[in-house]
Amino acid sequence: MSDSILTMRQERSSLDLRKMVASERIVAGAIIPVLILLPLFVAGSWTYALGVCFANSIGVLAVSALVRYGGEVSIGHSFFAAVGAYSVAILETRAGLPLSISLPVALVAGVLCGIAFAWPSRRLSGIYLAVSTMALALAMPEIIVNADTWTGGFEGLYVSKPLIPGIGIELQRYYVPLVALAVVVYCLSRLRQSRQGRALLLARSHPAAADAFGTRRAWARVSIMGISGGIAAISGAMLAFASSAVSPTVYTFWSSIFLLVGSVVSFYGLTLPRALIGGAFLTLVPQVLSGSGAWIPVLYGLVMLVVILAGHYGPQLSSILFRRGEKR
Amino acid sequence: MDAQNSMLTAQGIALSFGGIKVLQGLDVEFRAGEVTGLIGPNGAGKTSLFNCLTGAYRPQGGSISFDGRPLDGLSPAARASRGVVRSFQTVALCPELTVVENVMMGLARNYHSGWLSAFLPLARGRREDREMREAAISALASLGLADAADLLPSQLPPGMQRLVEIARAIVGKPSVLLLDEPAAGLNNAETRDLTQTLRNIASPDLVMVIVEHDMDLVMSICDRIYVINFGEVVTCGPPQAVRTNEDVIAIYLGSEDD
Ligand SMILES: Nc1ncnc2c1ncn2[C@@H]1O[C@H](COP(=O)(O)OP(=O)(O)OP(=O)(O)O)[C@@H](O)[C@H]1O
Ligand SMILES: [Mg+2]
Repeated sequence: MSDSILTMRQERSSLDLRKMVASERIVAGAIIPVLILLPLFVAGSWTYALGVCFANSIGVLAVSALVRYGGEVSIGHSFFAAVGAYSVAILETRAGLPLSISLPVALVAGVLCGIAFAWPSRRLSGIYLAVSTMALALAMPEIIVNADTWTGGFEGLYVSKPLIPGIGIELQRYYVPLVALAVVVYCLSRLRQSRQGRALLLARSHPAAADAFGTRRAWARVSIMGISGGIAAISGAMLAFASSAVSPTVYTFWSSIFLLVGSVVSFYGLTLPRALIGGAFLTLVPQVLSGSGAWIPVLYGLVMLVVILAGHYGPQLSSILFRRGEKR
Repeated sequence: MDAQNSMLTAQGIALSFGGIKVLQGLDVEFRAGEVTGLIGPNGAGKTSLFNCLTGAYRPQGGSISFDGRPLDGLSPAARASRGVVRSFQTVALCPELTVVENVMMGLARNYHSGWLSAFLPLARGRREDREMREAAISALASLGLADAADLLPSQLPPGMQRLVEIARAIVGKPSVLLLDEPAAGLNNAETRDLTQTLRNIASPDLVMVIVEHDMDLVMSICDRIYVINFGEVVTCGPPQAVRTNEDVIAIYLGSEDD
């Protein structure tokens, strides 16, 4: 008897799972060629906005990776993004170094900052950890303004060196963040298949079991914060490159909140379509709000609510519809 | 390391939580090549003793050693790399990992490919992964679970999830195997299969300890049985002696669940 239950359950849920994975694959497969060809067809203002959107999508992935593999929420990821952005900007203005050198530096700086934050806070979790990440986000603009000899203070710095000389900078501001996004998505999909990824997932769901099989909690926390900080730094570096400037107003506490919101509306997804949804939310919001009729924030809230509810009840809804269809 | 000397000993283990004495100076000795049963009523401290042995709990008193070397002060991870592994009373599988991936976690401590191979398909990481997967599948097969390899734990009935836990524990060829109620949730036929499987797992250089409420299983498989109650050893001996021990009979008649 238990056998037949087993096979039944097995068939149904592996069907659901396969369906979901397959549909995301198809969407991703369709999106990639569209995104590659898009600059041929749309105006420059669009490619500019999309470049920024790709950079933001990477930031959303940083938060989602922390949620998925660490089980923790951050409201301070703009800190790590700023580390990446200013690494790129300062290395260009001070040393004339192009992105090909400053991006790896930004990545390493982000990873180190993530680790440096994770070690003292390794025993915190939930709301306590979230609040301590908030401290990072609140401190960052102050740090930037105070270190104005390096950071340019309120005015910020410009980023104008192309990655590949000879190709139009406008196109690079679109394609470079796109490639970075694709690479980050790829690396995250590899992580899921790796020993370290599995260890992180077990440590998240059953820390005692992970412990008993050799995965220390402190290792798990430090690792995922390092990864997440590194991804966020790449996002900052790409944001600096795509928008051609860095300034403290881009890396405030609210930017951190928006990163989290982007992650929530994409359901912490680590796939390309999900990341793009989160990034689009992030990119459009400030633009729409700046044109602000008083209703805009309310509409924004409503849209967010609808997206979250649809995502939460969507699978149930479709399974109900599916069953009805079966009966007829 | 002489197989005959392999022994996990705990002496004078005292553990309390906020004034509640859970273990009161417990002395136990688990020998390689023997299957030792650990029985006692609910709340006797069986799981707590396992937690002390694996390092999840730090007892306030006493000492634990394996093969003559002390384990006190070692982290659970360090004890795991000495080969001390366990299964959990409440199933502790990761719901997001497939069954075979969960079992592969029992091997993770033996592999050391770096972070780069976590993000890129490098040769070493892939080879290690293949090895882990093969070992995990054969561990699953030895428990009759080969077909379940690519399912999620939630797709299995609770009894089988417990078997997956056992697979995770044995896949790394442990030297100490602590099983916490492996037969809970299994029906009679499945329990009989499990009994046979556990007999197969038993080997001359494995210390195997089973906490179990199913007396038939314990009596048929164990060479020696410890009975504990209120954190103290009531008696210890071969199944026949334990079965007829008056104190044990009193404990089990006194408690409502047997
Ligand atoms: N972390 C803890 N904090 C407080 N009390 C605990 C803790 N762990 C165990 N205890 C207490 O220790 C006692 C023994 O628990 P334990 O789980 O070891 O019993 P057990 O013999 O495994 O029982 P069962 O057969 O029900 O699994 C119980 O009274 C329990 O409440
Ligand atoms: Mg117990």
